[in-house]
Amino acid sequence: MESLPPTRDDSYSAALVIEFRQVGKTYRSLLGNSVKAVEEFSLQVAEGEIFGIAGPNGAGKTTLIAMMLGYLRPTAGTVEIKGLPARTYVERNGIGYLSELIAINPKWRADTALVRYATLAGIPSSQIPARVDAVIEKLGLAEHRDKKVKALSKGNLQRLGLAQALLREEQILVLDEPTHGLDPVWTQRFRGIVDELRRPDRTILIASHNLDELQRLADRVAIIDHGRLQRVVSTGFDHTHRAATRYRLTLASGHERMRESFPLAEEAGKGEYDVTVGSIKELNTALADLISRGGLVASVVPERSVLEQQFREAVGESQ
Amino acid sequence: MSYARLARYSSWQFRDFIMERGIAIVIIGMLWGYLLVEPMRRAMGSAFAAGPSSPTWPLVITVASSVVSLSVLIALNGIVSTDRKMGYYRFLFSKPISAVAYYAQLFFVYMAGVLFSMLLLSGILHMVVPDFSIFNFLLYAALIYIAMGGIGFFVSVATRFDWLTLAAVWVGSRVLRDVYGAKPGWRSKAVELLPPVHKLTEVSTSLITDGTAHAGDVLWLAGYGALFFALGLFILRRGSLAD
Repeated sequence: MESLPPTRDDSYSAALVIEFRQVGKTYRSLLGNSVKAVEEFSLQVAEGEIFGIAGPNGAGKTTLIAMMLGYLRPTAGTVEIKGLPARTYVERNGIGYLSELIAINPKWRADTALVRYATLAGIPSSQIPARVDAVIEKLGLAEHRDKKVKALSKGNLQRLGLAQALLREEQILVLDEPTHGLDPVWTQRFRGIVDELRRPDRTILIASHNLDELQRLADRVAIIDHGRLQRVVSTGFDHTHRAATRYRLTLASGHERMRESFPLAEEAGKGEYDVTVGSIKELNTALADLISRGGLVASVVPERSVLEQQFREAVGESQ
Repeated sequence: MSYARLARYSSWQFRDFIMERGIAIVIIGMLWGYLLVEPMRRAMGSAFAAGPSSPTWPLVITVASSVVSLSVLIALNGIVSTDRKMGYYRFLFSKPISAVAYYAQLFFVYMAGVLFSMLLLSGILHMVVPDFSIFNFLLYAALIYIAMGGIGFFVSVATRFDWLTLAAVWVGSRVLRDVYGAKPGWRSKAVELLPPVHKLTEVSTSLITDGTAHAGDVLWLAGYGALFFALGLFILRRGSLAD
């Protein structure tokens, strides 16, 4: 699998939108203790990309996002959006932002909270009701619109947070753990919403520790650990990748032929086998052999996604 | 453009003030006034309403001025720090607005809210004591809002325990000035740098009674508050919203 360097490469010719340049953030206590949350972090994100940030808990994802929105000042380096200091860009243009912790005044009603945010976002007064109705409809909040924020369930609060981020047609969207608290139905719908949001002139940044989600949604993913960029991974499939990969293979029939094609296959029960191959070509050759011998293959699923493999290599099996 | 957005949002800020602080200020002010003034009024009968010549006038001034101080404390409590503590800043300032302009506007919207609350309370007091000037009282309230509120705003930007800190600074300044203000040496000079709370008694009496006050005292009080308000805005501009 291709691991792109942290700096911008030639394959991304679209305009540069977000740039972290040698960014560091150190928290210092009054007693003089210090904790390095982010170190020497450089990254470039291009226009039109859906870019993921993955890392274990405490890796520095949220700190990076806070610096990108200008809520935190880096202790080293710079963060720029479209050539402007991050906070200056946000103050001038705004960003659609869904934070990991949804903090909305609990005394506000769901719909009036959206009206307030729409006002601050600069949506003309005459358009606010229609825009609020649209995001309420999109996020399935119609039956909760009259409720106070404190009366919303975690999932509904998450959807309200997403609704306020989608009020305006933003050029940049930053979604921090966007499916946190969503049920499986809304997790699926969220993926559809992100697909709809993809536009050549829009950049979407998604921070998550859900690798499956990032594998599905993002074009590239930065893997960070201990505040450092470990690698940037393209989530598309790379057939030249040569590392050993483990697959779970389910057979409908032809079990007796299995070992002839996959001598090292391990039985996993219920007609399933774990096989390890060195490349896609090797997998396909062995599968063709199995089918030609009368085996009926029901499914072949990689044990780990491309991103997961990269993540484990970068962060370590212990994570 | 950003300022137009914020101006439109000011009606929400004012509404928040009324619901979360204004009602409390009016209720506390009425209770405070009733508990202190009503027994005196009953005891003295018509002599109570004799105006500045009445022996109870200093009590009226004390009650009125303390209600103003308490109102400013309530109004400024958490004006910035609550958004930071609770994380409300995250969605607010992802919108195309300046945090500095947002909180500067909030400060003045809350000032309007405090004056509105004081208008209601002084209107009631005026019915009991006709010589009590609503206009003079509002002038005093505006001055104290700037003087005390400016420091409160700074404290709310700089710390998370702003109500306690502001009360400690206000009371502490008074005590330190009483203890060291008249003594020779560096301490008396050092306490000069503290908030000018020692001028409040004189200013409140003259301003509420006849609408006049020593210009130097007024400038010193308002200037001190305005300086700290500006310092608070500067820290907001240069510092981090998140911890």
